[in-house]
Amino acid sequence: MSHIHIDFENISFAYEKNIPILNNISFHASENESIGLIGANGAGKSTLLKLIVGLYLNFEGHIRVEEIPVEKGTLPKIREKIGYVFQDSDSQLFMSTVYEDIAFAPRNYGLSNEEVNKRVMHALEMTCISHLKDKPIYKLSGGEKKLVSISTILSMYPDIILMDEPSIALDPKNRRNLIHLLNSFNHLKIIASHDLDMILETCSRTILISNGRIVADGNTKDILTNKALLEENGLELPLCLQHKEI
Amino acid sequence: MTRINDAIYEIISLDTLANRNKWVNRIHPLIKLLVTLFYIIITVSFNRYDIIGLLAMIIYPILLFGIADLSLKDCLKRIFLVLPILIFMGILNPFFDRTPVLYLGIQTTTGILSMITLIMKGSFCILASYILVATTKIDDICYSLSILHIPDIIITEFILIYRYLSVLLIEVNRITQAYSLRAPNQKGIHFKVWGSLTGQLLLRSMDKANLVYESMTLRGYNTNYIYLKRKIKGIDWFYGIIWVLLFILFRRYPILLIAGGIL
Repeated sequence: MSHIHIDFENISFAYEKNIPILNNISFHASENESIGLIGANGAGKSTLLKLIVGLYLNFEGHIRVEEIPVEKGTLPKIREKIGYVFQDSDSQLFMSTVYEDIAFAPRNYGLSNEEVNKRVMHALEMTCISHLKDKPIYKLSGGEKKLVSISTILSMYPDIILMDEPSIALDPKNRRNLIHLLNSFNHLKIIASHDLDMILETCSRTILISNGRIVADGNTKDILTNKALLEENGLELPLCLQHKEI
Repeated sequence: MTRINDAIYEIISLDTLANRNKWVNRIHPLIKLLVTLFYIIITVSFNRYDIIGLLAMIIYPILLFGIADLSLKDCLKRIFLVLPILIFMGILNPFFDRTPVLYLGIQTTTGILSMITLIMKGSFCILASYILVATTKIDDICYSLSILHIPDIIITEFILIYRYLSVLLIEVNRITQAYSLRAPNQKGIHFKVWGSLTGQLLLRSMDKANLVYESMTLRGYNTNYIYLKRKIKGIDWFYGIIWVLLFILFRRYPILLIAGGIL
């Protein structure tokens, strides 16, 4: 078994009793895999990602990250390995400037000032936003905030990257940059998104969730070209596969 | 609605000022904090009838406003907000303290003098505090407090309140904008929806604050803020010592009267 991996074993979870969000979910994700997590609104995609980083611990079943069980005592160790990009960038960014926000995690992990600076500059370069380094967060556009959010996790040098709707709020050029960036990562990636075209370009494997259950888990091209399966579960073919005339 | 925008703008403008790369902004935050505290202590320690002595303390804010390129107009607006409170506190002095006195050739009472010094002291302290927050980032102020061994829990509360304040104001702005777009002929917000509106605001702010906290914990936050440590350089010591000596000088000798005599 590879060093970097995630195991989900029979996971069930509910925010409120008798209203299950996830129902008996099991899958294994291994090193270098790029997994697209798709499903209609409210399918449980974001919840699944949050369970991996232990934001909710009252689940049934077993979650293991690199063989470490997700439980209260192991959270700092697990979170050091995982970079999580929130759906809402405003929630992810809380420091005064871009630099300070990206430096937040490396500083918390006790790195020296030189190392922190090196990591911040590297993260800024990777997302092509070095020019925003000293800009206050509130002056950023929605797309810029998203790129800064991604930089905040890159400075952690994570083993695993989890992204919740990363292409939301990005203009076409920045969305393209994001796709290049995601394809250049040699990490285990799990990307929850409604942007099926981006999933098609960045993920080799796709997990389709519907009503809290895994409906399909397999090759991205097989799943995203299966019109009947997608429509049955509240989705439709990626735009690039819809031959609509204007 | 404009008031909320103004409040958000206030926070933004102070942050922008503090993030500038001016000479004063680069002085070590601990030195600036100590100078401000010392200034406030010296200012309030003046005799309540010593207007001329106290007047010398205005040299510090005047010089700093020039050096740091701050807008006196913006600061005066803040003083005017607090002025009614200062006047309220001192307004009874002329009635209770009616001893006649001849001050600088003007016949007055000690009550009037003490009221004037009270207003001056309050205003000077606000000026000094404004200079501190307009030239020092909030994170740096918290770093200075941690050097002074202020308990971490207090500093964390302070910095989180500051962060959540803008989150709260932005939420208020969103809610009131959404309301006004669907109630175009109303002035303000109808009292019938006050309850649900504040309830919504509370729930949304709690949600938002929780998300921010989750984001912090996911990036290694463990109830202790890690600050960018800075060494105190020679220029920082020089800045601090000069001001401390000047404040002591202003306190000990009536500088303005001596200068007036020489001139």
